Amino acid sequence: MLDIKNLKASIDGTQILKGVNLSVKAGEVHAIMGPNGSGKSTLSAIIAGKEDYEVDEGSINFQGEDLLDLAPEERAHKGVFLSFQYPIEIPGISVSNFIKTSLAEKRKALGLDPLSPKDLLENMRQKMELLNIKKGYLSRNMNEGFSGGEKKRNEIFQMAMLEPTLSILDETDSGLDIDALKTVANGVNKLKTNNNATVVITHYQRLLDHIVPDFVHVLYDGKIVKSGNKELAFELEEKGYDWITKQF
Amino acid sequence: MELIEKLKLYAQNKDLSENQKNLFNSFMKQGFPTTKNEEWKYTSLKKIIAFDYCLNLKNSEIDSSLIKNYSLGLKNKIIFSDEKLISFPNVTGLKINGFSSSDCNSDEAFALLNSALSNSGFNISVEKNTVISDPIEILFFNNTKNGFCQYRNKIFVGESSKVKFIERIQDLSNSSNLVNNYTEIFCEKNSSFEYNKIQNNTEHSKLIDCLNVFQKQDSTSEINTLIFGGGFIRNNLNFEQNGSNCESNMNGISLLNREQFADNHTFVDHKKPHCRSNEMYKGIYLDNAKGVFNGKIMVRKDSQKIDAFQSNNNLLLSKYATIDSKPQLEIYADDVKCSHGCTIGQLDEDALFYMRSRGIKEKEAKAVLTYAFASEVIESISIPELRILAQNLLIKKLDVDLDLSL
Repeated sequence: MLDIKNLKASIDGTQILKGVNLSVKAGEVHAIMGPNGSGKSTLSAIIAGKEDYEVDEGSINFQGEDLLDLAPEERAHKGVFLSFQYPIEIPGISVSNFIKTSLAEKRKALGLDPLSPKDLLENMRQKMELLNIKKGYLSRNMNEGFSGGEKKRNEIFQMAMLEPTLSILDETDSGLDIDALKTVANGVNKLKTNNNATVVITHYQRLLDHIVPDFVHVLYDGKIVKSGNKELAFELEEKGYDWITKQF
Repeated sequence: MELIEKLKLYAQNKDLSENQKNLFNSFMKQGFPTTKNEEWKYTSLKKIIAFDYCLNLKNSEIDSSLIKNYSLGLKNKIIFSDEKLISFPNVTGLKINGFSSSDCNSDEAFALLNSALSNSGFNISVEKNTVISDPIEILFFNNTKNGFCQYRNKIFVGESSKVKFIERIQDLSNSSNLVNNYTEIFCEKNSSFEYNKIQNNTEHSKLIDCLNVFQKQDSTSEINTLIFGGGFIRNNLNFEQNGSNCESNMNGISLLNREQFADNHTFVDHKKPHCRSNEMYKGIYLDNAKGVFNGKIMVRKDSQKIDAFQSNNNLLLSKYATIDSKPQLEIYADDVKCSHGCTIGQLDEDALFYMRSRGIKEKEAKAVLTYAFASEVIESISIPELRILAQNLLIKKLDVDLDLSL
């Protein structure tokens, strides 16, 4: 589904990614771990299409297409979703209006009519139940005055509504208390099928107790320096990143 | 021929009263204001007054289908075409007449000119203790090529009465017309008054509008100015609070593109204690559009316990768009709460990327963010038909296909 080859990228002349290789197949869950400043968020931003970064070399292939040729919205239409580490507040637009607009735009791009208001609301109701979201939340302004946990939950709510093929969860666990973490992880697990894939980016092993990865990768200094199964996450938790970084 | 020469000839051939002659002479003495005048510093009338207008209007009837295009479809409509009152509704508790008056309390050029030479307008009087539940639409049509119109209007809102209006000035000739509108509103004790202006006129139309609101104690007034188009617009909006516990509210949107221009000049005169004013103007400028905002708040010496709030927020969506914004607070009382804020900015790049990553195309994402910026004003509009019209005009002006109702 996703094939990243020798990806090198920089911002303002500073190279951040120094040759990342990653292959994700449908039905898989991958975790990318690594210390601060290793390039985790840069990688997710580049996959989603943030234009601040310069791709110097390499390719990102998504379902047979070169992702780097596409605008961020086109990537979203094809099924790429990024759960933001720091979701943006948009005063003046309600959660329901935002989600209605993004869903309608995605459906338009796919040649589908917008959902009827009834179907849309029913769909929202189901997904809200899944994520344990209260009703009054829909009419609140997008992320405005939301707690850290509410913002993250809102990200996963959008993911549930947009039904992406590839979801990248950037530090979704930061700012969540343990109950919220369980609810969010439970939502992500329920949305998982054999046809979609999830990439979880995290510092800590904690989230991986709830969203169990098939593969764990360690990103360090712009490169994936070690890959393994979920045991690698435990090992990292125990020994710290020093254990890896000392080798380089 | 320049406007001032034309007006001179027009006045000579007209049978003016002594008072009108004096007013006209006062006008001629000072002439049209130039940018040397502090109140017109950012707004040049040079091109406006150099144009050759037609002062003898056709006074023709207009097609009812055209009226429909520009009406909100409300039951009560007052319609003018080329300075002629062509229809008005019959509403219990309300007296409506054609009007002209040469009473002038102002020495401002356009007020003098209007008082000296205007032939038409409305006079509305609401009886006391009357709630007019259906809003009243007022439509002014210009149907003469390059026509110059002047309307003189007066509204009297009786004690403890309540009424709402929606005004629209519309050119049908698609030419370079000019309207000089002068309206006085008298709000009696404990009355509630709302006046909404839709300004979405053609590319070459020009408007000088002056609205003066005089409030007695315990009265509330709200003026909403919704600008979505027009070649040149100058709105003077003045409130005079002549009793305690008055409230004056004013909201505005200016959404302009191409070479459009709009200037909002507001003035609140807090003459009595225990009064409030709230002002929120939002400007959005695209292409080469230009905006001016001048908001003056005056708190007189003995006007204690005033609560005055003013904000003017602007979005410049092109390199060439400009806004001149000038808040002016003059406070002579010592126990008041006055705040003001003015911002000029662009759309948030991070918010744009966030929306695009959710599948909303760049143009649409910009439109949604622009709507979000204006929504505080749009969503405060109390008449549902007008609120929907404002939403639609915004979406149309930004050239996107979005449904923002939910």
